[in-house]
Amino acid sequence: MAFREINAKMVEATVAPGQRLFSQRGAMLAYRGEVSFTPNMAGGRGGLMSMIGRRVADEDTPLMTVEGSGTVLFGHGGHQVQVIELAGDTLYVEADRLLAFEGTLEQGTVFLGAQGGVMGMVRGQVSGQGLFTTSLKGHGSVAVMAHGGVIEIPITPQRPVHVDPQAYVAHHGDVRNKLSTALGWRDMVGRGSGEAFQLELSGSGAVYVQASEEKL
Amino acid sequence: MFRLQSSKVLAVDMTGDAVKAKNGSMVAYDGEMAFKKLSGGGEGIRGMVTRRLTGEQMTLMEVKGHGTCWFADRASEINLVALQGDKLYVESSNLLATDGALRTGTDFTGLRGASQGNGLFTTTVEGHGQAALMSDGPAVLLRVSPQYPLTVDPGAYVAHQGNLRQSFQSGVTFRTLLGEGGGEAFQIRFEGDGLVYVQPSERNTIAGDV
Repeated sequence: MAFREINAKMVEATVAPGQRLFSQRGAMLAYRGEVSFTPNMAGGRGGLMSMIGRRVADEDTPLMTVEGSGTVLFGHGGHQVQVIELAGDTLYVEADRLLAFEGTLEQGTVFLGAQGGVMGMVRGQVSGQGLFTTSLKGHGSVAVMAHGGVIEIPITPQRPVHVDPQAYVAHHGDVRNKLSTALGWRDMVGRGSGEAFQLELSGSGAVYVQASEEKL
Repeated sequence: MFRLQSSKVLAVDMTGDAVKAKNGSMVAYDGEMAFKKLSGGGEGIRGMVTRRLTGEQMTLMEVKGHGTCWFADRASEINLVALQGDKLYVESSNLLATDGALRTGTDFTGLRGASQGNGLFTTTVEGHGQAALMSDGPAVLLRVSPQYPLTVDPGAYVAHQGNLRQSFQSGVTFRTLLGEGGGEAFQIRFEGDGLVYVQPSERNTIAGDV
């Protein structure tokens, strides 16, 4: 069971008995069949530590569990939707960008501040990206939201990628990230190019970047 | 070296050359890139002074390096324009990036600007190379020939090139003042030989309120 893209801003999911999926609360547009939607309390999402992590990190977008038998249409806020297939690897994504994902995926919260030392800590403050991010691991598909659609840029050890923190959507693979600055004295006196901070992603994997600097 | 990664993301492959781009429009890059603000939008002191005087504000940066740089701005659609020595007139808010070799300047365009609140001036791009324009929705390219003049809503106008004269038309009547207008009180008329880029959306103009 995967998500079927209806158009750029809507996906359709099929639910069958014994299967479930999670979606952002309020993101259901329509459904057919016998489908129930129940609020998902912090349970089943990576245990106590990750629950505390989410509370502290504000990485706590409310989810609902979707179960039953039928098809459900999802969409939210007119944002463009992208389906990402996971084959055993881990996807890192900001919680508020998660539209829906299959119940077969294991969800957790990752502390990213540990990466990149002090600059990693500063990153959250500067970029508006939390120090915590949601991780999804396993086999299944995930629907993420972006403003203006996303492009996928491969990251290889030879070619690290720098991303505008506001345009960053998600990444997967074995990727390290750190905040890099291009801050010179010119920027201090207000003559910057507007590209003072960048997220540097290195390793191997891919990063999803949206066509906009707007947060959701 | 300009290519569309998607309809809303511009990819520029660079080998040591430079491009000018709207400030802050970089979304990602690989390789080595340097970003430098062009003071006053380029063209030295003269350009800066004209820009200050005309209100045709444009903050540009110069991006130089080796690798690929991706640009996007507020999910606008991107249109590529190839210039072969001719001149492109564009609203500064619709200009995303140009080849480093292209010259940018400001030009007097008559009354049209007044209806847009953008001043009486517009940005020009001239030379040989590529420019990337932004539009709200995919832009259409309309041809103007001596037999077929074109009239455009100021809010939907994006850019034009070629040998065109433009004039400002007002449909303001007694009815408009009574609030019974058709909602199309102002238009720009293009005559001559050239191309006009029109977007399927109307940005807010004074004209939209009457």
